[in-house]
Amino acid sequence: MAQDVITQAALGFGLGLRTQHFDAVLNTEPDIDWFEVLSENYMVAGGKPRYYLKEIGERYPLVMHGVSLSIGSTDPLNMDYLKALKQLANDVQPQWISDHICWTSIHGVNSHDLLPLPYTEETVKHVAQRIRTVQDFLGRRILMENVSSYLSYQDSSMDEWEFVNAVAEAADCLILLDINNIYVSARNHNFNPLDYLNKINPKRVQQFHLAGHSDYGDYVIDTHDHDVPSSVWDLYRAALKRFGGISTMIERDANIPAFSALEAELTIARNIARDTLGEAHPLNAAKGRKNMQEGKVIA
Amino acid sequence: MSQLQQLQHAFMDYLLASAAVDTPSTLEQTTQTFKDKIAEQGGINADIRMQIYANAYRIRLTETLETDHEMLGIYLGDELFERMAKGYIASQPSAFTSLRNFADALPDYLTQDAFFSQYPIIADIARFERRLLNAFDAFDTERATFSRLQALPAEQWPGCQLRFHPSVQLFQCNSNAVETWQALKQQASPPSPDYQGKRAWLLWRGESRLTEFISLSDYQLALLLGFIGGATFAEQCEMMLAFFSDAQAPVQVLQALQAWFQMGLIRDIA
Repeated sequence: MAQDVITQAALGFGLGLRTQHFDAVLNTEPDIDWFEVLSENYMVAGGKPRYYLKEIGERYPLVMHGVSLSIGSTDPLNMDYLKALKQLANDVQPQWISDHICWTSIHGVNSHDLLPLPYTEETVKHVAQRIRTVQDFLGRRILMENVSSYLSYQDSSMDEWEFVNAVAEAADCLILLDINNIYVSARNHNFNPLDYLNKINPKRVQQFHLAGHSDYGDYVIDTHDHDVPSSVWDLYRAALKRFGGISTMIERDANIPAFSALEAELTIARNIARDTLGEAHPLNAAKGRKNMQEGKVIA
Repeated sequence: MSQLQQLQHAFMDYLLASAAVDTPSTLEQTTQTFKDKIAEQGGINADIRMQIYANAYRIRLTETLETDHEMLGIYLGDELFERMAKGYIASQPSAFTSLRNFADALPDYLTQDAFFSQYPIIADIARFERRLLNAFDAFDTERATFSRLQALPAEQWPGCQLRFHPSVQLFQCNSNAVETWQALKQQASPPSPDYQGKRAWLLWRGESRLTEFISLSDYQLALLLGFIGGATFAEQCEMMLAFFSDAQAPVQVLQALQAWFQMGLIRDIA
């Protein structure tokens, strides 16, 4: 039933906006449906970052993706950070805001890493309550992303996918499903990534992340410095079958190639979606930017 | 303390101890405390799993120092840069939500560290690079034009004050740090360290959003410091008598003002 749908209509296929590509995006206005921006990079007063954000935001739909919410920390929520996030959202008017199901800081010290949480009922309650607070403060549902991990805790009493579902349900938030992170964690913890995909509640998934990683044989590190490998494309295909047409974007954070190379990767994603879902599927027809140009409401 | 809190403390203590310099006993203890909370599973062992996080912590912060202080890194070379990065990361855990601020205290660290403080130019280069970053992403405002000053009635000139663009930064040092930075930027050999005399530089972000800097003579520095401190046009003309004749002083002030407006340094006249 339509009233059960809590996710937003797909924006199509997007890329992470990186400083190296500011001029390429403005000068060539490539055929990208939307961009994801890293919130913290724009929590500065002004200058080039804010100038380009404004200019590109006038041409493309943007979504904001953060790394410092530290939603699972036992420190109090950082209200200065949240105020800055809300101010940025007021300026950017993003389609949505996301962060990660993890913790990054404790005792006021920031690891600047997405550290895993123990998968327990206690953690579910703790994280969900904090997400609710954040959502109330921002006045909107947020998306929370599954992270890559390299270790498990003795305390954990459930699988990661159960934990992600339980947090999303208890917090009434949305899910940003990182397909690469599922693959990385599956390799590091020896589970079947399809089990993960098949257990995640489709009702709450609003965005996919795709990325590359570094494979060391015995373990895999989520480095975002390579092209999306075939193993992740295969999983993306399976995710499309399970979840349908979800806004999809490619994250590249290091060893950043020319913009044209990322456009080519995004074409692979489009082709996979076309082959998997069919040409007529709304995801393949979704044109976040086109709608924006025509003055259509995107949300 | 909740179990979750205990676990997070143990994890962070482990990361910090792993990044510490010369504290093997602390590391051994924190490693064991954290390891006791890790599940043994197939594949790689818990030590390697923990080490992945310790490495990521150190690498991410080191990369931030490399990015923010590119010329300093070239000046120091790999070995000394590694020494500086290890020392700074160990002594200054990040209290920031953004890595943009992680190295804010690097110049102070280099000034206080027993080894690096022997070479003051190193802290000066770091301080100059922080100023460049500050100018790069400072707040945006409108800029006033010289014609606005010209349009003021003559009787208002003596009392007028200036408001500067937020990107305006002054940098003073006793070394040839900026000349060294410039040489490195142009991939030339840096000059030998020189500590003969004070030097002053003005940094700002121009209308085209490029960060620019110029050297300042003594009177230019005095003028800028005066106006930034709220001095009036008349007070500045008076002060310039220390540098110029009665006839020349107001002319010099006016010429300086004209240049500043053209450079986009002035956001308002009060």
